[in-house]
Amino acid sequence: MTAGLTLQGVQYRHGMKTILHDVDLTITPGKIIGLLGENGAGKTTLMRLITGSAKGKGTIAINGATIVGDRKQHVSFTEQLRGFARETRVDQVVNFYHDVYGDFDLQRYQDMATFLQIDGSLKLTSLSKGMKEKLIIALTLSRRTDLYLLDEPFSGIDSMSRKRIINSILQWKPDDAIMVISDHYVSEVAAILDEIVIVKDQTIFTHEATDTIREKYDVGIEAYYESLYEKGNDYD
Amino acid sequence: MHFDDKIPIYYQIKAHIYHEIITGTLQPGEKLPSVRQLALDVTANVNTVQRALSEMIAAGIIDSKRGKGNFVTMDETKITDLKTQLITEQVARAYQQLHALNLSDEEILNSLKHYMTQRGNAE
Repeated sequence: MTAGLTLQGVQYRHGMKTILHDVDLTITPGKIIGLLGENGAGKTTLMRLITGSAKGKGTIAINGATIVGDRKQHVSFTEQLRGFARETRVDQVVNFYHDVYGDFDLQRYQDMATFLQIDGSLKLTSLSKGMKEKLIIALTLSRRTDLYLLDEPFSGIDSMSRKRIINSILQWKPDDAIMVISDHYVSEVAAILDEIVIVKDQTIFTHEATDTIREKYDVGIEAYYESLYEKGNDYD
Repeated sequence: MHFDDKIPIYYQIKAHIYHEIITGTLQPGEKLPSVRQLALDVTANVNTVQRALSEMIAAGIIDSKRGKGNFVTMDETKITDLKTQLITEQVARAYQQLHALNLSDEEILNSLKHYMTQRGNAE
């Protein structure tokens, strides 16, 4: 069994269109990964392939589990709560998660909810964008599992909420768990990332340690990322 | 802690802790917070903090005691050496930059003296 997350020869097509091809990727346990790429580059598709909710070709293994049904127990993904009625209260959603996921740690949820100031009595429809994002993060991190996939957790939220979410990630991520955070901005999270994976041209364009980029090229992560979209860059 | 995105984060954490040791904010023999607490304090990830600590342990500035945690060295000569090393680095950088402006050693000394006098007047 190989520990960590491994993708080999992964392909995904939608109709006649190739969304991702030749995706090979190995992430070792404990790492925090920034999954970067423009809107529509295939970041969410890649996450859905890993969870098994999208079906493509190739092999995906999380701590050795390759079959979709087995894999699901090893991964916690930021679901957008679309399956719940608008009138559902936050604590009802929490109870649902607790019932459905055997690895859901209620105490951990309570600690996070206190820290993130989430009011359990509110209805989903009355949550602000930032509050909803905090709830999604707390639900996702309350499962004790091997891989956490956070799909653009900082889109459209204020800087205070962002700081609290980043703090929660650092505080509650289990030591050996992998966390993949997708974003099309990198400056917000650059300091907490071990490695970045850039999705470009329908495949993994770059996979490199952040401090290696800083040492090797003497540039910041954001500048490095942006340079890949400009002509004539010389980072080979 | 505010990081410069261009400089490796582990290096900036190391510089931050060295600064605290030299200024006495962290005393010889003092216990450092846990790795996770340090990560939260500076808003960096645990692996990066661990790398910074490993380098400080290898340099002999931090002592790692199994099961007890990490401590600032009790060996004050090591701290003095560290201070000398950091001062030398800073002075060397300033010296090289002034030298690159074609200043002689005497002119460099004079400009430094002049700056310190002016600075004193301003305060």
